Amino acid sequence: MGNQYVDMGLSAPVNVTWEVTFKCNLSCIHCLSDSGKKRIGELDTDQCRKVIDELAAMKVFQFNIGGGEPFMRRDFLDLMDYAHEKGMVTCISTNGTLITEEVAKRLDKNLVYIQVSLDGATPQSNDAIRGKGSFSNVVRALEHLKKRNIEVSINTVLTRLSFPELDKMVELASEYGAKLRVSRFRPSGRGMDSWSDLNVNKNQMLEFSQWLSRHLKVSTGDSFFSVTTEERKSLGLNMCGACKLTCCISPKGEIYPCAFLQHDDFYAGRLPGNDFKTIWETSPVFESFRRLEIKSCESCHRFDLCHGGCPAIAYHTQRKLGVPDPGCLANCVKIKPPTVAAKGA
Amino acid sequence: MQFHSVYSLKNGVQVRKERFGLLFYNYAGPRLYFVPTQDLISNEFFEGNQQVKELVDQIEANHPWPRQWIEDRIGQVLQILEQKGLIYGQSVC
Repeated sequence: MGNQYVDMGLSAPVNVTWEVTFKCNLSCIHCLSDSGKKRIGELDTDQCRKVIDELAAMKVFQFNIGGGEPFMRRDFLDLMDYAHEKGMVTCISTNGTLITEEVAKRLDKNLVYIQVSLDGATPQSNDAIRGKGSFSNVVRALEHLKKRNIEVSINTVLTRLSFPELDKMVELASEYGAKLRVSRFRPSGRGMDSWSDLNVNKNQMLEFSQWLSRHLKVSTGDSFFSVTTEERKSLGLNMCGACKLTCCISPKGEIYPCAFLQHDDFYAGRLPGNDFKTIWETSPVFESFRRLEIKSCESCHRFDLCHGGCPAIAYHTQRKLGVPDPGCLANCVKIKPPTVAAKGA
Repeated sequence: MQFHSVYSLKNGVQVRKERFGLLFYNYAGPRLYFVPTQDLISNEFFEGNQQVKELVDQIEANHPWPRQWIEDRIGQVLQILEQKGLIYGQSVC
């Protein structure tokens, strides 16, 4: 990744995370956006088309679509068609429950990736987080998508429940011709309430880092750079891309640095209405985010690998930016003195 | 490099101009490719309407650089982009 070019400032995001609705038919206990019912002020179809127009004009390459459950919107597939007509790639994160054979047929085109959420390799572990019956619904969706050869990732949030099943998740993904993507649990939305019960402890985080080093085909996508090892250094971004490569649009059109910082402190503007180019280039929130430095991390031997980690996790756990990611691998290593001693010997 | 060729983006590839040069996005992955060409080549060149010779002529007319250097640099960039699977050339002769 060309960090030096990214630091020069890009003319537009490479991708934009767009949460298209709060409406969801599941009630996952770790949901970062506390989704459930549609909320007042969500963008209508015309407003969504204007958002697509504006971002396409800036040559944003990709939408990462989330929610809520995107397929709960009746206009969702039409909106995706509209984005594809503009040449934009869409990566759709879904709980999979609404992907029927007909939907899979409609998604069967070149500009779509699907990420299906699954938080365990068995109905017991997955349904404990995502609700009864969700595992079997997801498996059915995976079958429909496999039949169509649509590129799919299974997205698993790393929790104390999913951690012991990661090897099985690799096998399950392989069975459906899918990739496995492990994403980070964050204490936002309902994740705040379940954080203490579900978040992995430091030993597990260290073990997970080592597991990732042995599974180079597993992607992490977002903010596990706090545990990046030398083996994975060249596999992707090793720094927070918020306001540099990406940003987030909420279901109401509000613009934030990332999906995990949808908070008044980080509000940068609204679409449609404000000019996205102006927001991207001059928003004080975005400017300050680009200048963010985790000073206390700069002397750490791991700084080149993680650049201080995920600011969102630091913010949610310590209510401030510019402080180290609490899941930092250097901290994990400190609680494992025998390993460190052995390495130094 | 063929001087009478035009170059186009492969399916699933997009490109845009940035301060450092060109930023390519490839659906097939790896997603991003940064090409530090400054203003040597515009993204419009990859719409397949301009021959390499015309591009070289245009750069020579607007910059003090020796023609040979321009040809070498353009040739090198196009070769790398072809090897990366981002563009393809078509002869117009």
